[in-house]
Amino acid sequence: MDVDFALTAFLTGWLAATVRLAGPLLLAALGELFAERAGVLNIGIEGVMLLGALVAWWAAWSTGSLWLGMLGGMAAGLTAGGFLGFMYVTAQASQVVVGVIFNIFALGLASYAYRLILGGASGAQTAVMFSVLPIPLLSEIPFLGPILFRHTPLVYLTALVAAGAWFVLRRTSFGLNLRAVGENPRAADTAGLDVTAYRYAGVLISCVAAGAAGAYLVLAQVGQFRETVVSGQGFIALAIVIFGRWDPLRAAIAALIFGAADALQLTLQIFTSGVPPQLLLALPYLVTILAMSGLIGKADQPESLMVPYSRE
Amino acid sequence: MTPFLSARGIVKRFPGVLANDHVDFDVNAGEIHALLGENGAGKSTLMQIVYGLYGRDAGEILIEGRPLDLRSTRDAIAAGIGMIHQEFMLVRRFSATENVVLGLKAGGALKPLDLEGPAREIAELSRRYGLQVDPAARIEHLPVGTQQRVEILKLLYRKAKLLILDEPTAVLTPGEAEALLKVLRTLADQGHAVVIVTHKLHEIMAAADRVTIMRDGRVVGSVKTAESSEAELARLMVGREVALTARRSTRPAGPSVLRVEGLTVMSDQGRSALEGLSLDLREGEILGLAGVDGNGQSELAQALTGLRTASGGRVLLGERDLTRASPAERRSAGVAYVPADRRHVGSVGALSIAENAILGDQRAYARFGLLDRKRGRSFAAGLMERFDIRPRKPDYPAGKLSGGNLQKVQLGRAIASDPRALIVEQPTRGLDVGAIEAVWAELLRLREAGKAILLISAELEEILNLSDRIAVIYEGRIMGELPAAQADLRRIGLMMAGSHGEEDGHADL
Amino acid sequence: MRIFERRAAPAEGAAAAALSTALAILAALAVGGLLFLPFGADPFSAYAALFGESFLTWRGFGFTLLKAAPLILIGLGTVVAWRTGFGFLGFEGCVMIGAAAATWVALMVREGQILAGLPFAAFLPLAILASLIAGGIWSGIVGLFKSRFGGNEVITSLMMNYVALLLVQYLVSGPLREPGGLPQSPRLPRETWLPQLFDGMRANAGILIALAAALVVWALLLRSRIGYEMVVTGLNPKAARFGGVEVGRRQFMAACLAGGLAAMAGMVEVLGLHHRLIDGMSGGVGFVGMVAALLGKLHPLGVVIASTLYAGMTVGADAMQRQAGLPSSIVFMIQSLIVLFILAGEFFRRYRLRLPGRRTASAGEGV
Repeated sequence: MDVDFALTAFLTGWLAATVRLAGPLLLAALGELFAERAGVLNIGIEGVMLLGALVAWWAAWSTGSLWLGMLGGMAAGLTAGGFLGFMYVTAQASQVVVGVIFNIFALGLASYAYRLILGGASGAQTAVMFSVLPIPLLSEIPFLGPILFRHTPLVYLTALVAAGAWFVLRRTSFGLNLRAVGENPRAADTAGLDVTAYRYAGVLISCVAAGAAGAYLVLAQVGQFRETVVSGQGFIALAIVIFGRWDPLRAAIAALIFGAADALQLTLQIFTSGVPPQLLLALPYLVTILAMSGLIGKADQPESLMVPYSRE
Repeated sequence: MTPFLSARGIVKRFPGVLANDHVDFDVNAGEIHALLGENGAGKSTLMQIVYGLYGRDAGEILIEGRPLDLRSTRDAIAAGIGMIHQEFMLVRRFSATENVVLGLKAGGALKPLDLEGPAREIAELSRRYGLQVDPAARIEHLPVGTQQRVEILKLLYRKAKLLILDEPTAVLTPGEAEALLKVLRTLADQGHAVVIVTHKLHEIMAAADRVTIMRDGRVVGSVKTAESSEAELARLMVGREVALTARRSTRPAGPSVLRVEGLTVMSDQGRSALEGLSLDLREGEILGLAGVDGNGQSELAQALTGLRTASGGRVLLGERDLTRASPAERRSAGVAYVPADRRHVGSVGALSIAENAILGDQRAYARFGLLDRKRGRSFAAGLMERFDIRPRKPDYPAGKLSGGNLQKVQLGRAIASDPRALIVEQPTRGLDVGAIEAVWAELLRLREAGKAILLISAELEEILNLSDRIAVIYEGRIMGELPAAQADLRRIGLMMAGSHGEEDGHADL
Repeated sequence: MRIFERRAAPAEGAAAAALSTALAILAALAVGGLLFLPFGADPFSAYAALFGESFLTWRGFGFTLLKAAPLILIGLGTVVAWRTGFGFLGFEGCVMIGAAAATWVALMVREGQILAGLPFAAFLPLAILASLIAGGIWSGIVGLFKSRFGGNEVITSLMMNYVALLLVQYLVSGPLREPGGLPQSPRLPRETWLPQLFDGMRANAGILIALAAALVVWALLLRSRIGYEMVVTGLNPKAARFGGVEVGRRQFMAACLAGGLAAMAGMVEVLGLHHRLIDGMSGGVGFVGMVAALLGKLHPLGVVIASTLYAGMTVGADAMQRQAGLPSSIVFMIQSLIVLFILAGEFFRRYRLRLPGRRTASAGEGV
C-alpha cells in the first residue's frame, strides 16, 4: 500500500515535471521547424532564447506585467530574426557559422545588458513568475489531472501553438508554400513563389518563438534572469526538430521525451539509485546522435536545408 | 487557319553566338509539332523565348493572330503557354495535387487549404486525357513517366493551350515513352497544341504531325512528317558541308590498347545508362564517339576512369583487368582523362595553375610526404610554355583562366602523364576557334605519338575531322561503327537519332 | 525594387579581402566603443587600457600567451576540419575529453601510482599522445558517421559536446573525484605541470606546444601531399575524386586530427592553468577558438595571430572588469561581431548598393 502510494507520487511528480520542462523546449522547436521547413538551419536560436529571456525578465520586472514580459521576449526575438535573416538569406553566409557565432554574440550582449539594467543597484531581485492555473474540473481527474492540467498558462498556450503550427504547416497554403521553398526552391520559384520572402518568414517565426521560449524559461521556471538560464536548451530544440522529423506533433512527443529525461534526473536525485544521473541526462543527446548518424537512413530532412538559393 | 502561336523573325544573340537568326515558327491547335536539331542548333533558345524565360533581340510572337506582349513567364502562362523542362519542377515530398496547386492564389494564406476540390478536378483531367495519375500519390513514389504526367497536369490545370516539352523522352523507358506519345496525341485531338523538342527521328515519325528542323540558329525546313522520311530529316539536321580542316596523315592503327566488353552502368538516377556497351581502342588511332548529349557518354567516361562503378562487363588495359580498379590505379596504369566539365570536375578554381597541374599526379610530386612545389611550379611553367597558356603565371588561380586556357591545362596535364589511353570528353565545348584548333592539333600529335584516344564529342564536325573510326552511341548502346573514310553524314545522323542507318539504304547518294 | 545589385564578378583579390577585414574590425570596435559609454568610460582610453594591459605589459602579455595557447590549438583544429569540408562544431567537447585524458595520465604520476616518478620529459609526450588519441577517437566517431554513412556532422558534433561535458561531470563527481571535495579531480602532482617560460611570467610551455602544432599543421596542410588532397577535397570533392583522392578517407583523417588538436588544447588548460579537471572548465573556449580561426582566414599563421589577438582581448577585458568595473562581455561581443561583419562583408563584395535614380553600366543585362 505504502509502496503503491510512493510509486504514484513519484510518477505524478515526474510526469508533471516532464510536461513543465518540455514546454519551452517545444516552443523553441516549433519555431525552428518553420525555419528548417523553409530551408534554413537556424542554430542561432540558442542565443535568441537568451536574449528573449533577458528582455522578458526586464520588461516584466520593470512594468510588473508578466504578459508584457512575454511580449518583450518575442520582440527581442523579432529583432534578432531580422539580423539573422539578413545573414542567412540575403548575405547567404554559411548558416552554421552565422548561427554559432551569433550565439556567442548573444551571450555577450545578454551579460552586458544585464549588468547595465541592474546598474550596480544592489537588488535582491523579486521573482517574476506566472502562477499555476489549474483548469477547473479537469485538474481534479485523479492522476492525469495534476500531470496535465495544473500548470502555468504558458503550458496550455504552448500546446495550442503546437496544434496551430501543425495546422498552418499542413493545412494552409502558407504552410504548403513554405515547405515547397525548403524542399525545392527552384520549383517554388518557377511556380511564382518568392523564395526569399518565405525564408525570411521562416527565420522570423523561429526567432520569435525562440524569444518566447526564453521568456517562458524566466517567467514560468526560474523567475529571474541568469546567464545560464538557457545553457544548451536551444540546441536541444534543434535535436527535437530532427527527432520529431520536422513535424509539429512528433516534435511534441520528442519534447516530452527530452523533458522526461531531464525530469527523471531531477526526481532521481531524491531517490538514490546506482545509475549516474549524467547517463540519463546524456540519453537525449545520444539518441539524437544516433538518429543523425546516417545509420538509420536519411530522415525526412527538407531537401534544401542549409542550401542558399539564388537564381543564377 | 490561324496558327495558335506563331513566332516571326525571332533573333537572339548571346555573347559571341547568334543563337536564333530570324527564326519563323508556328504551331496549330490540334497538332503535335516536333522541333528537331543538334545540340546548339538553337531550338531550346527558341522555346525559352516563347515561354518568356529569355528576352528576344528582334521579332514578334502572335497568339491566335494577335501580338503578345511577352515579358516574363507569367505573361506566357496567362496566354496559355506551358513548358515542361527536362528537369522536372516538382517537390518530391508533395502529393500530385499539392504540386499542381503550388503557387496558385487560393484565398488567404492562413485559410484552410482546400485540396479536395482541386484533387477532384485533377482526377477528372487525368481521366479525360488518359493520364492515370492518382492525385493523392507522393511524387517520390511515382515512376518518372508518371511524374512527367503530373507536370502535364500542372499545365492543364492552369488552362494551358500550348504545351512545350523539352526532350520529353530523354528520361523515360521505351514503354513510358510510348505511353507519353499516346497522351500527347490525346491532347492534340482535344484541341491542344503540342511542341516536342527532340532529336529522335523515330519518335518524330511515329508521333508528330509536322516537324521544323533547325541548324546553326536558323530554320532549315518545316515539313509534314507524312510527306518526309527519316533519311530526309537526318539530312536536314546535319546536312551541312563539313569543313575538313584538320590535316590528318593516314596511318594504320596498332594493336588493341583499351578494350570495353559488355559494360553496364547505372546513371545517378538509378536508370540504366550503358547497356552492354563494347568498344576497342587501338594504338595510334582516334576513335570518335558521336552522339547527342545525355546518351550515356559521360557515364562511359566515368566508368572507364573509375569514377563510376560498373554493374557488369569488363574494362581491360592490355591484358590487365581494370574493372574494379580505383581512379588512382587506373591513372598509374596509363589511362588519362580530360573531363567535359573542366571547371567543376577537372580543376579546382581556388587553387593555382601549378596546384591544378599536379592534380592526379600528386604522388609523383611527393618526397617523404611533402610536395615538391618547386618541381610542380616548373612543371606548370613548362606546360604553359608548350601549350601557350596565358597568363603565363603558375600562381594564377585556375578559376580565373579562360575556358581555352583551362582546357589546355587539363589536356597538358593528361598528356604529360604519358598515358597509353586518353579519354577526352567534349574537348572543345565553349572554346573559341583559335583554342579549338590548338586542341585539335594536340590530339592529332598524340595520335602520331601512338596513343590510343577515345574522343567523345557531340560535335559532328570535330568527330569527322579527327577520327580514324567513328562509333555512334544512342541510349547507352553503340548503334554502329564505321571507318572515317566511309563516314557519311546522313548515316551518322540517322544513328545519332536512334535509327540503325542501314535499312534506308543509300537511296539519296 | 531591388536595392542590391549583383556585381558581374565579386570584388576579389588580396586587397579587397584585407580591406573588408579591416573595415569589419573597425566597425566592430566602433560598436564596441559605444558599449563603453553607458558605464561612463571613454572608449579610447578603455581600448588603450584593454590592449595596453595585455600586449604592452610583461605580466599581461604572459597571461595573453597563456590564454592564446588553447585558442591556437582549437583554431588549428578548425582549420583542418573546415578546410577539408568537414563542418565540425564539436571542439568544446574535444577540449573536455583531452583535459580528462591528460588528467588521467597525470594522476598516474602520483606517488604510489603506476607511473610514479616518471620524468616530465617522458610524461609530456605521453600526455600529448593520450589527449590526441582520446580527442581523435571522440571526433573520429562523428567523422566515421559522415564518411561512412553520410550522417550530418553539424548536429552530431554539437550533441557530442554535451555528451563530453556530461562525461567529465560524471568523472569528477565519481571515479576521479577528489575525496570529500567539490566535484573536481584531485590536484595534479607538481611535476606534471607545464613549466613556465620565464620566471615571473605566467606563460608556460603550452604556447610552445601550440606554435609547434601550428608549424605541423601548416606543413601538413599547405606543404604535404596528404594536405593537398585534403584541401582539394574541401574545395571540390568531385575534382578530388577525379584526381584519385579517396574523399571519405581524407575527411575521416581531418576529423580525427581536428579533434586531437582540440583535445591538446584541453591538455594545455589542465596541465598549464587549472592543474585539475573541473566540471565545465572549457567554458566556451571551443567556440571562441572557432571564431578566431575564421578571423585568421583558416590559415595556420592567421590562426596564431587572430588567437593571440583574441586572447589578449580576453585578458584585457578581465583586467578592465577587475580595475574599472567595466563588463568583460563587451569583448565577447566585439570578438563575434568582427567575424559576423566579415561574413556580411562578403555580401557587399558580391553586391553593390543600387541607389534609386542612378543607373549603372550593367543595367541592360536583365534577368
